[in-house]
Amino acid sequence: MLPLSPVVFSILLALAVSEKHGYAIMKEAALPEGGGVVMGPGTLYGSLDRMMRSGLVEETGLTDNERRRYYRITKFGSEVLGAEAARLARVMSSVRRKAVLEGAR
Amino acid sequence: MKRLPPPMLWLYRGALVIYPSRLRYAYREQMLQTLRDAYRDRNIRAVHFWFRVYKDLVQSSLTERFKMVRDFVFKAPIAFHTVTLALVLTVLGAAAAITMQQMLRRGANQPQIDMAQWYAGEIGAGENPGNVIPPGYVDLERSLQPFVIFYDEQGKPGPGTGYIEQRVPVPPSGVFDFVRIHGSENVTWQPRPGARIATVVRRVNSKTPGFILAGRSLGPVEYQERLLWRMVMVGWVIVMTLLLGGASLLNRAQRAKPVAA
Repeated sequence: MLPLSPVVFSILLALAVSEKHGYAIMKEAALPEGGGVVMGPGTLYGSLDRMMRSGLVEETGLTDNERRRYYRITKFGSEVLGAEAARLARVMSSVRRKAVLEGAR
Repeated sequence: MKRLPPPMLWLYRGALVIYPSRLRYAYREQMLQTLRDAYRDRNIRAVHFWFRVYKDLVQSSLTERFKMVRDFVFKAPIAFHTVTLALVLTVLGAAAAITMQQMLRRGANQPQIDMAQWYAGEIGAGENPGNVIPPGYVDLERSLQPFVIFYDEQGKPGPGTGYIEQRVPVPPSGVFDFVRIHGSENVTWQPRPGARIATVVRRVNSKTPGFILAGRSLGPVEYQERLLWRMVMVGWVIVMTLLLGGASLLNRAQRAKPVAA
């Protein structure tokens, strides 16, 4: 399953702390600290559908109206997110070790 | 607070027709609500907002459709790969068989081409057709032997070795007309039902102008062709049976595997 696509990673990251509805996920994913992934409703719901079928996220059943449903990360989704974060951390540590960031300045 | 204009909402709702139907039915209302929320919160100009929204809709529609096809293919891999392999083998087998059939057909003309060339050369060099063509009697309906016949400028038969019902057969006049213009022609000729002959007709330019026809029964070649197609059909049935049997065993083995926890 790894490496995750930027969209999947940023959706999982957005749901890591609390359950959210579609627009809240989209908004958080667009933030620099959320991955900086700008997506529209088409990408969001297509990805959520596949992630639900893979068992990464699920609907909470909570809804403030029929149009705004809430999603949460599953235990498996948390494990996958953790594994991807660890992978990225290793990459970043390699980047630091090779002084790539200093070279780019 | 920016409120989404209803016409724009209707337009987007209509544009969702390009989104895969399963996703559209499951998420349409949520997508429209997300669009309302995003429009209300937008900090970019409306034109940029809509450009981004529609670009995303087109891109995601294509991506999701591609992924649906990919998922379908990998959901039933054995069936899919069996059908694909069967198609590939059928096409390759048919191509090989057609190539072999064409080689047989072309090979059927080879001795006649050489014969027609030699006799045309000899007569063209001034020899009398009656002296060049040896005496002989080949029954076109029964014999598999090659034969040769000389026809004069008007297409009347002269000396020759090919006979059908004890008479020298004459090809349709259109053949001579064609050869007059083009110099030579390879024709499959059927002077009698059941007697198919591969003939080569060449123009003879000499003091005795005319045409030389060399022919041979297509019987042996057609027999080889029938044999070839019979072998191809038997081979195809065996390969398909093995393929289906293998796929069925593989499927059974896959179903018997314990499901991972």
